[in-house]
Amino acid sequence: MSIHKFTKLSMIVLSTVVIASCASTSHTAEDHSAENVDRFETYNRAMFKFNYEVDKYVIRPVAEGYRAITNQFIRNRVNSALDNLKEPVWAGNYVLQAEPEKGAKSLARFAINSTLGLAGTFDVAQGWGLEKEKTSFNETFAKWCIPSGPYIVLPIVGPSTPRAATSLALGFVFDPVYWATINDANIHDKVAWGYAALDGIATRESALELLDDLERNSVDFYTTMRSAYMQNQSKLKCFCDDNSQTNTYDFDFGIEEEDEAFDMMEDEQ
Amino acid sequence: MKKNFFAVLTASLMFFSTQAFAEVDGKKALEFVKNVTTQGIEQIINANVPQAEKDKRFAKLFNEALDLDFIGQFVLGRNWRTATPQQRKDFIAVYRELNISTWSKRFDEFKGKDFIFNGTSPSNSKGQIFVNSTVPMDQGEPAKVVWRVREKNGQFKIVDIIIENVSLAITARNEYTAFIKNNPGGVDALIANLKSKI
Repeated sequence: MSIHKFTKLSMIVLSTVVIASCASTSHTAEDHSAENVDRFETYNRAMFKFNYEVDKYVIRPVAEGYRAITNQFIRNRVNSALDNLKEPVWAGNYVLQAEPEKGAKSLARFAINSTLGLAGTFDVAQGWGLEKEKTSFNETFAKWCIPSGPYIVLPIVGPSTPRAATSLALGFVFDPVYWATINDANIHDKVAWGYAALDGIATRESALELLDDLERNSVDFYTTMRSAYMQNQSKLKCFCDDNSQTNTYDFDFGIEEEDEAFDMMEDEQ
Repeated sequence: MKKNFFAVLTASLMFFSTQAFAEVDGKKALEFVKNVTTQGIEQIINANVPQAEKDKRFAKLFNEALDLDFIGQFVLGRNWRTATPQQRKDFIAVYRELNISTWSKRFDEFKGKDFIFNGTSPSNSKGQIFVNSTVPMDQGEPAKVVWRVREKNGQFKIVDIIIENVSLAITARNEYTAFIKNNPGGVDALIANLKSKI
């Protein structure tokens, strides 16, 4: 499939999902945590299982192979170059978030690192006090107070929401790699797919230990992933609540006094 | 006269209720968390003692620093109310043990690193406060770690750890609630599953 068709198709699928999710009435959480609502659980669990198998037999082995044939130094160079290619998109998003200084910083970093930093493999700009600061369309939309929408597991990509998925697609088509090759149909698809694959493998490699640790300690890996992902989404800031000093980690434990069972336990100890 | 009486009564009630919600001493709470992490890093991870001794020290530190009775009750959610006293006891015991083994492994990752503390944030819950910190990572940006601390009878205990926006308590609660919902074995099945992980 050509990359154009693919992006068009994913846009259609996504808009359908967005419309469907807007049409259904909003649920009230039975649990007091808003993160615990899962409208499409049956579909999500099935897709999660599919992704898990794909990961087990394809993505994970490739990520491990990538780790085996490279060392940390090389992987740092690759990650740095991949991040560098995203700087223009970050810069644009900072402008959309009304943070022009950060936008200018991202552009400056892109200019410096693409040249002096040897195609971004070295972060020269950081040494000059221009720290790397990532952002995304997803953060921009969150800033504009657009709700994340329900949790959706995408094929291969994994945990997502309509807002995050739209942002992912936009980030992809605004990427310099996408534009650099757009006039040459022959290499355009190959480069775009290859770039996406490399980015995915590099990301998977850096998450190897983290995901293993989460899975090992989990009794329901699907729920653990969903909960962690949605907690992160709900912490993204919106313009409307920028000024208030609300502590987003603050929830009521709903426990006034500990159960007397504890006193009994303590007596026995 | 009567009016005045009620005014005084309301005023005094308000006074006492603000007293009851008196703020937790942020400095003390921060000192407490700092002390726990320093102890963990200096006396356990970096200490030159056998692994068995390290595990013992970690279990002791973890039990003293965290209020696992409190967290355990929260993470079981509404199933706590329907659980039998025996189930509650067994659950807390296995939850405690699993957390000790999980976090002693996780803590090893902090070898040679230091937490940087960035003050505290208030909580709406009585006697609770958040201590903010970051910890440098081998790759990428430093990780944000927030400690939720509860003061009870002048003693501080950690009741939640929030790593990169993800709350340990909320995640476990969602996970355990889902597990119990999908398992005919209920709380007993959960306890058995957790036991198998230790």
